This record gives sequence, structure tokens and C-alpha cells, in this order.
Amino acid sequence: MRRHQRILGSRPGAGSAGRPSMGRRQFIGGAGAAALAAALAGCTGGGQMSRESGGSSGSLQWWDQFRPLTKMLQDHLFAPYMKEHPGVTIERRQMNVPDLGQALQVGRRSNQMPDVHSLAGLGTSAAALVSQGWFQPIGKLADFQGSPVGEFLYDGMHRFDGEVSSFPLFSGRWHEAVPWFNTAMLKQAGVDPEEEPGTWDKLRDVARRLTKGTDDGVYGIVVPSKETEYLQFLVNRLAMTAGAPGGIDWATGAYAYDAQQYVDAIEFLTALQTDKVVHPASPSMGPRDARARWAAGQAGVYLWGAWFIGGLRVDEPEAVERGVGTWHIPCPETTRNVVYSPPQSGTFWVSSQSKRAKDAAQLMLQMTTREFQARLAAAMDQPPVLTDVVEEAEVHPAYRRCVANFQDDVRIAPAPEVGTPGVWQVLAEMRDIHPNLGDIVQSVLTGSTSDVAGELRRYTDAMSAERERAIKVVREEKGVEVGTEAWVFANWDRKADYDQQAYAER
Amino acid sequence: MTTTIRRRERPAVAPARDRGGRGLLRRLRQDWWIYLFLLPTLLGYGAYTVYPLLASWWFALLDWPGFATAGTFVGVENFERLIGDDLFWNAFWNSIVFLVFAVPLRVGLALALALVLNRKKTPFKGFFRTLFFLPVVTTGAIVGVVFTLLLDASGPVSLALVWSGLIDSPANFAAGAGTSLYAGIAVWVWKWLGITLIYWLAALQTIPQGVHEAAMIDGAGAWAEFRHVTMPLLVPFLVIITLIDTVAAFNVFDLMQTLTGGGPSFSSEVIEIFIFRTAFQATVPQLGYASAAAVLFGLLTMGFAIAQAVGMRWARGRTGAS
Repeated sequence: MRRHQRILGSRPGAGSAGRPSMGRRQFIGGAGAAALAAALAGCTGGGQMSRESGGSSGSLQWWDQFRPLTKMLQDHLFAPYMKEHPGVTIERRQMNVPDLGQALQVGRRSNQMPDVHSLAGLGTSAAALVSQGWFQPIGKLADFQGSPVGEFLYDGMHRFDGEVSSFPLFSGRWHEAVPWFNTAMLKQAGVDPEEEPGTWDKLRDVARRLTKGTDDGVYGIVVPSKETEYLQFLVNRLAMTAGAPGGIDWATGAYAYDAQQYVDAIEFLTALQTDKVVHPASPSMGPRDARARWAAGQAGVYLWGAWFIGGLRVDEPEAVERGVGTWHIPCPETTRNVVYSPPQSGTFWVSSQSKRAKDAAQLMLQMTTREFQARLAAAMDQPPVLTDVVEEAEVHPAYRRCVANFQDDVRIAPAPEVGTPGVWQVLAEMRDIHPNLGDIVQSVLTGSTSDVAGELRRYTDAMSAERERAIKVVREEKGVEVGTEAWVFANWDRKADYDQQAYAER
Repeated sequence: MTTTIRRRERPAVAPARDRGGRGLLRRLRQDWWIYLFLLPTLLGYGAYTVYPLLASWWFALLDWPGFATAGTFVGVENFERLIGDDLFWNAFWNSIVFLVFAVPLRVGLALALALVLNRKKTPFKGFFRTLFFLPVVTTGAIVGVVFTLLLDASGPVSLALVWSGLIDSPANFAAGAGTSLYAGIAVWVWKWLGITLIYWLAALQTIPQGVHEAAMIDGAGAWAEFRHVTMPLLVPFLVIITLIDTVAAFNVFDLMQTLTGGGPSFSSEVIEIFIFRTAFQATVPQLGYASAAAVLFGLLTMGFAIAQAVGMRWARGRTGAS
């Protein structure tokens, strides 16, 4: 014991009186240590002191996932605004999509929401969040209705109870299965980039030629399969090029994942695997890993969104210098089908906890100008809502071509929540069904199942049953008037955009 | 003397609680600074361990979409749903398989290594101990990411196996439905082997050298000495080391999430990933349902542990009787 006391630096014999005593100095020291410990316990994980609420700190907090926009937002939006408004400081945090979703959920429950944020990673409709009181309207704080994006504002998507809560920064005319290719590799394999593989078979042929005509360890195509969300998007788009309306047939309102086009799309991916033209490490890759492998010259073609090239320019600029090109999304036959995307939801929202809503709204309004939209296009992320600015913007020719291809390949689909406000309550009530489309594709690609049609049928039936259950719950428990007819758009024309007039004529 | 008189004046059946209460108050008054120093720890433990534990029980009884600030009470509905949820049972069994394979492997391999590294004749003992301990101090998530690359079809492990003729074509060990869970087990054992090795080395060093020498004089070989001398003396340590490693085998989220993400097709989804997916990655996050999964898993494993203990006692009794 005595030895221990010496080791610990105590005065020998200090404890010999039977019980230790404590002097004033010791008490002050102890209390200081306790106060320090309490202060440390109050710190957040990031080393920042906790705040009472998102809007109470001196700065305007801004959270989003747009990595390619980092410099542009800072130089052309935040810096000029802070210069014009000396009392305003803007702090932006860019996070990966899953991290952002989790941070927002936790921030919401702990009253630490940023003033402005995107909805990435939350995986739900904006309407569902509006109903939970996440946002505050901004239409009276800034004139979005009269801005150049005014015509893209939809009830139930951007406008709730007549008040504007957000606006689409990006165009809805896009998809996630754009074939991006390495021009240098194509030349090495003797493939002419201008000879566009318009069909699935031609893309298979290009992938074979790339695999054979390049060095060992280089493959025709990469299909990242670790994250099922990517596979779900990819197969959905490929099925649309085969003539599928999407997961829901808007003519009948029924789920349509069991359509033959989905089976064909999955079989096309398995055919690529059988050909041994898919990068063998694809099952271990997420979409960003795949982009890095593509940039490293390990694969010739990669199907991803328009933001591919913007991300490359930030993370792997040498790959852009080496040469990158794009084609139309291939279809199974020479007859071309289009793919369908709903109107673009609002991108940024002002938190109901924010005390800087006016600054936030003014800042967001500046994003609707043609000048800002042109700069947005230059970042080469998703196409801006004013897509015509891309023609004159400083963008890579491949990005310009990609956006032009969207004009040919994509049509705006109906959105049930726009037509029937009660739909969001059903969507919010619906529980996830697993295995979903992405899970099924992953199972097929990893050899866990071969019954593609059976799995798709079970998924379709389960989704239909779950929607029925959710409709019943919201009708009976919440008194909402909504039924499956909300998903039926009898006047839907497959070849045309479903616009505001179409909703009015429905 | 005065004290003696006062004690005699007290009722013969003075309630112990009263004495205890006074004693506690007296202790608090006399040793208040001890409790002051304990306060930060108590607050931290209460806020970050006790409160979440109790809260998860309450949350398990709520229907709480992650987007809402509060849930609504639904009783045991979440538990009823869990019972019929195939993916919950898939994750449950994956966690059990992980435990059943990983813990004996880690404990056994570490013991074998410790025996080698505890021998006087083994060269570079310090170097090897450091080498085996290095993965322990590496972040689990980083290990997961690195092994994703090492174990994919273009990684060195697959290439070496193809080159040696053991497999025909490149294999994705961490992304194959039949191998992903076992890849996770292998990486987990590799990562944490060093700490169990340290436990075993400490345990081995408690055995007096004289016991070994006596066994040698009696003519015991290496195996006989291990079986009849070393191992019986290590049994108390075996129990505690197995317990520590078992607890650790239920905390594999960072490694498995980065290595396999629970896939493909949920083949390596352990219970922690199931809870995380339900709480944060669902289209509408379900905090109540995720909490119920955590609670039910805790109850089921507790049930297993109790059944195992009762079974062992019963078996021991039967052996003793026969």
C-alpha cells in the first residue's frame, strides 16, 4: 500500500489517520477536474461544443452531399453572399449520402439541425417530412414563384398548402445508367468511340473487344454490386429501355417488377458476367469504388449518372485528361424506348429549427438565376433545372453530350404525390420489402438464386400487399381519402412528359 | 464509555436499514469528496450506458418512424413482427454462427501461439508478440476496407490460390454468398488474435516454473505436460478469456459493415447490421422495431447462455453420478 502511495506521488503517511482528509486546494483542484470532465462530456463527437439548436449559433449551417459543387458553392454563392451581408457566416458540411441521412435523423431528434440541408440519405418523400414539421415555408421570404424556376414548382412536391418550401435545383430529366467510356482504352482495343453501341448486344460486343484488346487485368465493363441501391437503379433503367414503364405501370397503377423486361435486364447483366467481361472484383465494389477502378484504367465502360464526370474531375482529374466519352443508354433492340423519371424534388430545404430562414431563402433564391445555373452546369453534377444553360456553360464535351442525350432518352413520369396529396401518407406508412429489386439482382449476380422470374413475382406481390395494407391503415386510422386509383394516370402518354397540364386534365 | 451506554439504550431490534441509512449518510458526509470524484464517471456511465439500455427497452414498445421526434406506444407489436421476420432470424443465426466459429478459433489459435511464444527457446519473441498485436490497434473499419481489396477477385489472396491451383477461377471471398460470413470470421480472428494472445501469455506466466520442471523430472513429454499440467492450471483463465471473446464477437459492426455490408443477399448480415439497417437505412427508419430487435436478441442470447449453463451443470452432475 505504502509503495503504491509513493508510486502515485502521495505524501507517505497521509492516509494513516484512518480516513483521508481533503484540504481547500485539493477540493478546488477536484472541482476543477469535475468541471472539466463535465465540459468534455458535453462535447459532440466532432470535437465541437454542443449547440442548443441549429439556428442559434452565429453561422448559417448548410449540409449537403454534392462533392463536385464544393468550390462552386463556396466561390459563387457563399462568399459573395457573406461579402454583401457582413453579419452572416455560412458553414457548409459535405457528407456522403448515408452519413448525411443519419446525421439529419440524429440532428432532428437532438435539435441540432442545420439551417439548410438536402434530403439525401433520408430515402423518403419531402411531403412525409413536411408533415412531420421538418421545414419552414420560404415562399414569403423570397420570390421563387416569379423566378426562372417558377414553372418547375409542383404542388405536393415543392409547394404545400399553397406555400413554397423548396425548388428543384436540378432537372428531372436524367438517369443513372449513362455509359461512360475510356477513350484511350477504346482506341487501344480498336473500337471507334463514334460507333455507338445502341443495343445491349452491341454493348456486350464492345465489352468483349475491350477485354480482349487491352492488357491483362483490364475488363470491358465494371458493374459494382456491393450496394443493392445501384443495382436497383441500373436494372430499373435497363428494363425501361426494354419497354417497361418502371416499377409501377402508370396506366393501371399496378406494380410491374415482374414484367418480362425486368427479367431480360437481369439476364443481360448475367450474360455480361458469363462473357467474363465484367471486372471480377465488381461484387466488392460500391459505385465510388467502381469509378476509382475505372479511372485507374481497370475497366473500359461504367454505367452511372451524369455526376460521374464531375466527381472524376474532383477526385481523379487525370482520368478526364486521358479521355472520357459517353453514349446513349443502350436498348435491347434497335427500336429505341425512353426511360422515365419523376419531376425533380426540392433540393435544399430550410429547417423548421432555423432562426436564419430569411438569409437561407435569399441565398437559395440566388441559385435560380441563369448565371448560377450555368456555373452549376460547369460543376458537371446532375444537370441544372434550366438545362438549356448547359449549351453555353463551360463543361466537358462529354457532359454536354450526356445532357443532350437525356433530351432524347428521358421523359418526365407522373408523380402520384403531386396528383393526390394523401399518397405521401401511404408512402410513409409502407414498410420496406426484402428482398427488393436490388437484393434480387445481387442474389442472381452472386449465384445465390437463379429463379429470377419467381423472385420478381414474389417481390411484386409483396409490394402490392404492403401498399394495400398501408392504404387501409391511413384510411382507417387517419381518415385520409386515398386509394390505389391515386397511382393510375389514364392520360399518361409514354412518349411525352407528364406536365402540369396533364395533371390538370387527369 | 458513553458510547457503550448509548448502544445499550437502543432497542434490541433496531432496524438494520436505519443503521445502514445513518451509516450511509455519515459516510457521505465524511467521505463526500470521494463521491464528488466519482460523479463524472457515474454521470457518464449513466448517460451513455444505463440510459441507452433502459431507453432501448422503452423504444422497443413504440412505433417510431425515424423522421418523427417521438413514437407512439404499440405494446409488444414490434416483437410480434420480429418473430415473423425471416431477416431477423437470418441475422440472428449469422451472429450465432459467427460466435460458434470465431470464438473457439480465436481462443485456440491464441493459446497455441502463446505456448510457442512463451517458450524460452523461441527466437524473436518480442518481435512476434508486437507483430501479432499490431492489428489490435488498427481501426476495425480500416481493416474491413483493406481486406475488401485483399479478398476480392483481383486481390492477392485470390490470385495466389488460382496460381497455386487450389481454385480454378478468381473468387470474391468477402462478396460471395457462401464465403462472406466466414471471410468476416477469419478477418475478425486475425485482427483480435493479439489481445487474446496477451491474455494467454499473462496466464501462462502465472504457472510456476517448478511445476514444469517437476513434470519433466517425472518424464512427461511436451504433450503430456500440456494436457495434464498446463491446461488444468489454465482452465480458470480459459473461462474468463472465452467470456471476454464471446462478448467481443457480438461487437463486430465496424468490421462487417465495411467488409461485406451484410451482403451479398444478407448472407453476412449479423444482428448489429440488421439493427443499423432497420434504424437508419430503411426507407422509413423504424427506431422502435430496431430497438425491439436489439432487446429480443439480448434476451435470446441470455436464454442461450442460461440453457448452456444449466446443461453443463446437468452434464457434470450426470458424469459425477455415473
